[in-house]
Amino acid sequence: MHPKSAEFIAFCDGEAGAGRGMQKHLAKCEKCRDEVRRIRSEKETLAAGFAAPGAGNAAGLSGVLSAMAAWRRNRSAEAASELRSRLRWQIETYCGAPALRMLDQPELRTEELLGKTGEMLDIFLGPRAGEAVRDEVFRGLDWAALAGETER
Amino acid sequence: MRREFNFDGMEAAPRWIAIFLGANLLVHLLVLYVWNAAGQVVSLQGSSGGTSALSVTGMAMLNLWLCLMVLKSFPAGQPLRSTWLLLTVAAAVEGASGVVGQVLGTDWLLNPLTWAGSAGFGWIEQIRLTTLFASGPVHLALLATAMAAVLRILQRYGFWVRPSAADWAVPGIACLFALCRFGEACVASLAGKPGSLENCISLAGLPLLCVLFLEAMLLRQSVLRMGNGLIARVWMALVCGILLTGAGEAVLWVIPHYSQTLPLAISGILIRLLIAAAFALAPACQLAAQHRAFKPDRGISENVGSHSPVLAR
Repeated sequence: MHPKSAEFIAFCDGEAGAGRGMQKHLAKCEKCRDEVRRIRSEKETLAAGFAAPGAGNAAGLSGVLSAMAAWRRNRSAEAASELRSRLRWQIETYCGAPALRMLDQPELRTEELLGKTGEMLDIFLGPRAGEAVRDEVFRGLDWAALAGETER
Repeated sequence: MRREFNFDGMEAAPRWIAIFLGANLLVHLLVLYVWNAAGQVVSLQGSSGGTSALSVTGMAMLNLWLCLMVLKSFPAGQPLRSTWLLLTVAAAVEGASGVVGQVLGTDWLLNPLTWAGSAGFGWIEQIRLTTLFASGPVHLALLATAMAAVLRILQRYGFWVRPSAADWAVPGIACLFALCRFGEACVASLAGKPGSLENCISLAGLPLLCVLFLEAMLLRQSVLRMGNGLIARVWMALVCGILLTGAGEAVLWVIPHYSQTLPLAISGILIRLLIAAAFALAPACQLAAQHRAFKPDRGISENVGSHSPVLAR
């Protein structure tokens, strides 16, 4: 059985306890030797990158930041889409498909749809039942991501 | 996805009403069939003096109870509060007139007014007419005001539709029916046969019925614009109740003209029960929708997480 990735990385980092068994296995397994070579090569590339002068560091940092922003945008969009689909489901359950077509305009933002739906449910179902529906809509949603969506 | 039928709690209230109505109609139709098959040897009687039967009064009381529960969920200041208040008062008037009419408006043994002799019988007649007036024009006026209030709210939220030709045609038919009734009463009066007070009370409700028919058609259009969701069912039940009230008036007027064999009392009870059930369905559907909001079907969020933060609401 081949070792796990974490064990390869520990071996390449020279961590204690990751040596003897791994060496015995590497002596027999060509595939695992390739894996260790690949990890060492990546480590060297990364070390070279960090050792480069300041301009390279700034470019790397902006790359990391833009990657984080893209990841966050994607998460926010997913949460907003989930909220919108839940709202659509509730409108269709309580009012009907024509009401959904009337309310859910493409240019309407998710929080605007949330406001309109909440207001309508408060009026026709009563405030307590309306609040219960909103609780149901929000249940289990990714709040951090949704906050990012509404901030933009 | 198949949704299982639930007969527990308020969510099942509309189903219980439908089951009770169905069972009651079946029993009445069976009685009519047996009576017809037996050669109509026995006289079939409804409740005396045009007062509501026990089943109709019971349905009206159920309507009142359901309306009171709905009213509690709309605190002061809510736009639909006035509508539900008027519907509750209408249900209370209907229920009270049924009970008072049954207990004090009929000459039965346990009515204390019958013990007072001939003076008591005068009171009984007055009470009977008062209950007829309350369950007729007064009830219709309250319904018309409630309908106007809900139409305004639907208009405010964009569910307003301009009335089509068909929407005008239905109240037009109601107006024609009212004209026929008024014409018949005038002809009878000119021929020296003045109509009974009972008939006058019924005539007084007809203009209101025309207004209600127009409102019912407008409400129907608005509800169709909304869809067939749980809220839409509430107002559709009310529309059905009003249309059935008009149809019932017409049927009860037509039957004696064209059929002498069909027992009017039983037909009257069946029609009134149908109308009372339609009106009771409105608050029942409202409670079912509210119950659904509090105990939702966990179809959309099976993996329940923590409750939403209060600020997010």
